[in-house]
Amino acid sequence: MVIDLKRCTGCFGCVVACKAEHHTPPKVFWAKVLRNESGKYPNSTRQPIPVICMHCKEPECEKVCPTGATVKREDGIVVVDHEKCVGCRYCVVACPYGARYFVDKWKDYFTGKDEPSSKYAEYSKKKWLEESDRGVVTKCTFCVERVEKGLLPACVLACPAEARTFGDLDDPDSEVSKLIKKKHGFRLKEELGTDPCVYYLPAR
Amino acid sequence: MAEATVSEDGNPKKTPISGIPENIKEAEAKSRSTIKGAEAQKEMMCAPRAQLEWGFGGRRKVRDGALLIALFIGGIGAGQFVVSTLIFKDFPFSAQSAVIGMILVAVGKSAAHLVYLGRPARFFRLFMRPRSSWISRGLIAMIILIVSGAAYLAPSVAPWFGITGIPWNTTDAISNVFLWTAIAAAFIVMVYDGFVMNSCKSISSWHTMLLPVMFLTYAIAGGVAMTSLTMIVATGTGNTLGDLVTIDGFLLGAMVALVILYLMNLYTSDLTGKESLHRLLMSRTAIFFIGLALIAGLAVPLALTLVHQTGTLGTIATALLAISAMLELAGDLSVRHSILKAGLHSPVI
Repeated sequence: MVIDLKRCTGCFGCVVACKAEHHTPPKVFWAKVLRNESGKYPNSTRQPIPVICMHCKEPECEKVCPTGATVKREDGIVVVDHEKCVGCRYCVVACPYGARYFVDKWKDYFTGKDEPSSKYAEYSKKKWLEESDRGVVTKCTFCVERVEKGLLPACVLACPAEARTFGDLDDPDSEVSKLIKKKHGFRLKEELGTDPCVYYLPAR
Repeated sequence: MAEATVSEDGNPKKTPISGIPENIKEAEAKSRSTIKGAEAQKEMMCAPRAQLEWGFGGRRKVRDGALLIALFIGGIGAGQFVVSTLIFKDFPFSAQSAVIGMILVAVGKSAAHLVYLGRPARFFRLFMRPRSSWISRGLIAMIILIVSGAAYLAPSVAPWFGITGIPWNTTDAISNVFLWTAIAAAFIVMVYDGFVMNSCKSISSWHTMLLPVMFLTYAIAGGVAMTSLTMIVATGTGNTLGDLVTIDGFLLGAMVALVILYLMNLYTSDLTGKESLHRLLMSRTAIFFIGLALIAGLAVPLALTLVHQTGTLGTIATALLAISAMLELAGDLSVRHSILKAGLHSPVI
């Protein structure tokens, strides 16, 4: 995936789209937008930095996982097998991008309780439990179920500024590869050697 | 007549939505997370981000602290086993002391880990990946320590329960194999938590080889403290401890040097490391780090050990020795707690 920081307005559309798609409980953000403030008044700037799981080629989370629950699929997507995860949270601590969340149990957004307070919350709980489990670690899946059907991930589809481009990094003719080459794409925390698969295009 | 859309105070009347509590503010307050407001805000900023998974006061408040307890108990238990079977081998009550160490590891550490896990029923999966995960390596070492340690101690312990017929005794070659296997495993149990933390590359205050060395030293010192306490309780005097007090003195000196090195390492590291140093010395964590870990856990025991070595205090020395051992254990727990709490992820950009 390529995220164009010049186009991103920090509207949180991706965050909402992800929440609507995956029904993640409160305080769990598979997609988030961080605020990066730099400089000093009057020359200060604020740049939104959308962050998701980087689906690294050398994922730290996979390396440290004692159960083998975190796996890198052949298509490069890093997923968590919720049947194998024991909730030790080594991966949450080891992930340099803060992309992983431990979910002890589903909670209602309004009451904070285990019981759904509305029909939508009931639906949301059902959908969440279909996709995840309690007492395990969860993370962005690049909307693997959509990608397998030939659809774009929810955050890409929802971005009103078209700041996100999804594609095959291994294909030099793909749009993502061309964008990275043309606009000098960079990656977050490259120095750690995790080889992340999410590229950013500079804001200026 | 149509229902009024304006309330008595002139404001538009709120239409209650089915299923959503009317007093939203109250409901929001109830759903407030366990994370402090400032920490939650920092999670959404490109700033050093506190790890909230391990240690007390995390996302699950008390239950997350079980991991700290597991690491602490595992360290001192393995340390006590090593000290009792290596240094204190020929002294009375050494077998009892080794058994206490084993129980701490087998029962205390295991139970604390189970309390911490999100899915404790699947604990057996933790042993699956020793090739790449330090958690797997440490827990496999724990099992080896329990099995070989129990096999080594069996000839000494069985008679306490009237059991006879153990086919080997403590002087046999096979018994030595059990002993050295258990000791090797105990060293891994003492050191693996340092490697677990060292492998987290984005946490500057953890990504240092000083941590495994520090945790090993603290675990052995904890083992010495536990052995001393066991001996004092069993014999009622600290006079028999002799060499153990001298060893403790050296270990305390090493711990002081390691803590200074660790703090210097943080001072010379990146901005996140400096922020961790600030947390250790200037924030609420400083109460534990400076008050308990440095003063109560290092300075006071070092002074008491020196006083004991001079032998000028006579019978009071035994009580002081016991206090010193307990303070050392409190210091061990505090230093682990402080280092966990000072763990900050570097900002993503």
